[in-house]
Amino acid sequence: MTSAPASRNLARARRSTGAPPQLVLDGVAKRFRRPDGTLITALDGVSLGVRDREFVALIGPSGCGKTTILRIANGLLRPDSGSVLLSNAPPEPGPGAGFVFQSFRLIPWATVRRNVEFALQELPLSRKERAERALHYIGLVGLSRFAESYPGQLSGGMSQRVALARALAVEPQILLMDEPFASLDAQTRELMQMELMSVWERQKAMVLFVTHSVDEAITLADKIVLMGSGQVLETIDVELERPRWTSALRSDRRFVELRDHLWHRIRELVLSDPQSDFYGRDLA
Amino acid sequence: MRNGNAAGTAQPSDHIGGWTVALLRLAFLGLLMFLWWIASIYVARNLIPSPLETWEAAKQLFAAGRWQDAVRASMATYGSGYLAAAAVAIPLGLLMGAFNVLGKTLEIYVYALSATPRVAFIPLIIVLLGLGFEAKMFIVFLGAVMPIIINTYAGVRQADADLVEMARSVGAGRFRIFTQIVLPGALPFVIVGLRLGATIGLINTVVAELYTAIGGLGGLLAVYGNTFRMAEYFVIVLTLAGIGVIVTEALRYVELRLGRWRR
Ligand SMILES: Nc1ncnc2c1ncn2[C@@H]1O[C@H](COP(=O)(O)OP(=O)(O)O)[C@@H](O)[C@H]1O
Ligand SMILES: [Mg+2]
Repeated sequence: MTSAPASRNLARARRSTGAPPQLVLDGVAKRFRRPDGTLITALDGVSLGVRDREFVALIGPSGCGKTTILRIANGLLRPDSGSVLLSNAPPEPGPGAGFVFQSFRLIPWATVRRNVEFALQELPLSRKERAERALHYIGLVGLSRFAESYPGQLSGGMSQRVALARALAVEPQILLMDEPFASLDAQTRELMQMELMSVWERQKAMVLFVTHSVDEAITLADKIVLMGSGQVLETIDVELERPRWTSALRSDRRFVELRDHLWHRIRELVLSDPQSDFYGRDLA
Repeated sequence: MRNGNAAGTAQPSDHIGGWTVALLRLAFLGLLMFLWWIASIYVARNLIPSPLETWEAAKQLFAAGRWQDAVRASMATYGSGYLAAAAVAIPLGLLMGAFNVLGKTLEIYVYALSATPRVAFIPLIIVLLGLGFEAKMFIVFLGAVMPIIINTYAGVRQADADLVEMARSVGAGRFRIFTQIVLPGALPFVIVGLRLGATIGLINTVVAELYTAIGGLGGLLAVYGNTFRMAEYFVIVLTLAGIGVIVTEALRYVELRLGRWRR
């Protein structure tokens, strides 16, 4: 396990397709039937791309379709129309993508190691290789001491690190992260962001990262995709140097302007959304 | 906050040591014995035997071998009926949970049957199976099978949808999701069903022995009850209580062992 997993992973992706990995959604639409029988449009012609080694943040008010995009990118859902290609093939659930959920979703009766191994069972690995790989990634997120602990014995931050290890361990082409740090306290959240950055800097998989937080999006992403009611409204390249934790950068004019811009757009969206609790409120 | 914050563990103030519980239970047993003794003195017409008389009766029943024979007969009925119930109910409950069509089709009949007092079937069972072992075993089976089916089915139905989606996202197939996510999640429910089934099965053992060919512990209960041999009668009642405690405690132990991850 001393060879760099990232390069191995990229090599595998390139071998299978002959091209660098990428995710492309083109004109994707998805509707759901509500329990009362009415149809709801979750995605209405979404086009977006994640390039090789790119970190894309997806931001927008709740209910605008962010989770649906991740499900489609993972192959858990098929679009009603439009196309999705992950490295030139329609995505299938499995080790091609690593999904990190907001609520961790660890198996409570399985140890940390077995939780990570669970994701590895679809890969052609021997039992021993599986255990080694799991332990390697558990070490990577700093939880070696807890490999044989149960999720119930872990704090929220530790649980989310296990979930991250599980997603990384399959050495996916793309990490799909659905508000992964939203349920953590501010302190833990920032540490987890750093943890993710340090892993990503080494691994450089593609990341599609859903967040509610403007600051989180700007701090982490190469590109921010702003969504509202099932559509992509705006795509912004974040051209700030990394790392972005420094207070100098956070008070940088570009950081502040971008932050204000996104913040206002989202507030506008929420206030003009009839579904929202704040619809029509004058909060100036 | 390294190792702390174990979700769902008892607060220190809730915590009672195992020895304290054992002592308290023993003290309560003493209190019960005392009340029993008082009652045996003050209830008229010798309807309640004293603890000592009961003890003497137990020794005699044991020496004559009647106690052992009755326990053996009852346990054969109980054990075979209960095991047959578990062997049918767990697979059936799992299948009903795994295949929605099957579950939706059968559940209404299961609920109907479990709401019908099972005693209602006893005459029919006697007509069909006679008064022997098969009839008794079937009466136990019929009592125990319903709660096990219902709880197993409920356990599969309440499977954690989030965990199932997680499993799907890593590429797990239906079989792996069922065996590794749904089944372990349903296990506590199955055990609750087994526990309820064990209780009802024991009740039905006695019912069966009273209604069919008189025998076993239920038979002795009838004999001593009808002839007002209250000391012997008490021995049998206490034996039944003891069997009930042993069976349910054993299942609780299994549950604890399987649920170690909760702590
Ligand atoms: N399985 C589903 N069935 C019915 N409606 C759904 C389903 N999944 C999502 N929706 C609806 O689609 C819309 C978009 O949902 P989602 O992608 O979860 O939004 P977000 O993650 O941005 O909050 C919401 O209105 C939601 O209620
Ligand atoms: Mg969502």
